[in-house]
Amino acid sequence: MSLLRFDNVAIRLGGREILSPTSFTVERGEFVCIIGPSGCGKTTLLRAAAGFLRPSAGGVQRHGKEVLAPSREAAFVFQDYGRALLPWRTVEGNVALALEAAGVPAAERPTRIHPVLRTVGLSAHAQKFPVQLSGGMQQRVQIARCLAQEPELMMMDEPFGALDAMTRAGLQDELARLVRDSGLTVLFVTHDLEEAIYLGDRVVALRTNPTRDAPSLAAMIKVDIPRPRDQLATREHPEFLRLRRELYQYLEH
Amino acid sequence: MAARVLQLLRALAFPVLLLAAYEWWARNAGASSDALAPASTAFKTLLQALMGKDLWQATGFTLGTAALGLLLGGVLGIGLGVCLGLSPRAGRMGFLTIEVLRPIPSVALIPLALLVYGFGVRMELSVVAFATFWPMLVLSQAAARQVEPVLLEVAAALQLSPAERVRKIVVPAMVPRLFVALRLGVAIALVVAVTVEIAANPNGMGYAMMIAQQSIDSALMLAWLFWIGITGYAINAAALWLQRGVERRMGVQP
Repeated sequence: MSLLRFDNVAIRLGGREILSPTSFTVERGEFVCIIGPSGCGKTTLLRAAAGFLRPSAGGVQRHGKEVLAPSREAAFVFQDYGRALLPWRTVEGNVALALEAAGVPAAERPTRIHPVLRTVGLSAHAQKFPVQLSGGMQQRVQIARCLAQEPELMMMDEPFGALDAMTRAGLQDELARLVRDSGLTVLFVTHDLEEAIYLGDRVVALRTNPTRDAPSLAAMIKVDIPRPRDQLATREHPEFLRLRRELYQYLEH
Repeated sequence: MAARVLQLLRALAFPVLLLAAYEWWARNAGASSDALAPASTAFKTLLQALMGKDLWQATGFTLGTAALGLLLGGVLGIGLGVCLGLSPRAGRMGFLTIEVLRPIPSVALIPLALLVYGFGVRMELSVVAFATFWPMLVLSQAAARQVEPVLLEVAAALQLSPAERVRKIVVPAMVPRLFVALRLGVAIALVVAVTVEIAANPNGMGYAMMIAQQSIDSALMLAWLFWIGITGYAINAAALWLQRGVERRMGVQP
């Protein structure tokens, strides 16, 4: 059974159809990227998958069960890392929140926090407050908090969109490594086409203003580029360039 | 260090000048006045009073009652404010009631409080609690409404229970605005407590000042006035110190 199944999910906001009925599935261990121009409903689709909002029609099923509300088994990484962290808690405290929510006893928490912080390279900053960290590090804290809740699925809403190019490249590689090591399933929303091809096993392209003839789901493409991928070699790979050319049209308005 | 001393001296220059001018006037043109004593006499009276027991007893009564009243008004006001702030429906339902009751001047309740409780701690406490309840309610309602929505989504994503949500997310996020409410509440509590004592309750600093005035002991009256001012300043400084300490613990960078 698919881990996640979008079953004719449609979303209307204020009488306007943002997302026409869209169906696809996400398999366990898959890295699926959703791209599209702004306003195409990609974030809304992700939020529906997380249970933050109910679709106007159709539904999202996780393991065959309708998603009605957020669940700890599916972690959500918000784009706005600065607002998604508790500014009054240290890095360690922010990660601990996920464990407190899961009812992990206080004595057991350090042994679960430290490996997670090591994974995202924040071991040396455990006692710092978010304001003392750079944007890239703050986003790592959020990813660490999500990892600490030991989810089977991680949903990421343009997580690297606000970061500079160098930091973004570094975090992309870290994320790819981490997903490979842990076998996590990832649903990743981005407006950066190259990022989607670089990270994804599959890329879902959405379009704005769907009509009967041109539904929201514009294209669904498998990325057959070997892993581990490399910032230079992969981006020069003929298949990468071909996919980039093919998908580019879907980002235009 | 030297720069700080200089800064302090500069800040003190104006009040000292004013006091000196008043002293000069009271010793010359106003020497025949029964109503106003020179500042130096008032200071001497205050020093004498500081040695005695009555001043501390009266101060303790006023501050204790104001603190208890603020505690009562604050706990009720913040509790209700969080509920109304988190639930827009409850906020809309409560709006009219709050806007009708809030503008009642708290000191207008003195006669009623006197009838219900008689003289003493309880009547003063009830008026202080009423006076501080409304600003605490309104400010904490606004603070709860302004909690970062992403943080509430984080709480939802982690499936925190409603109680955990309030304790771990909402209340800490409200702390900076709650301190604004606290400092406002402290000032209101002291003003109202002294007012109740001047108007009705035969206890505390306000009453002691009234007695001094009625026995035309203007040095003692001015001493009390000065002392109440110092107390108010000290309490505000203490609230500020508390705020800084809490902020430091909560990661606010200086």
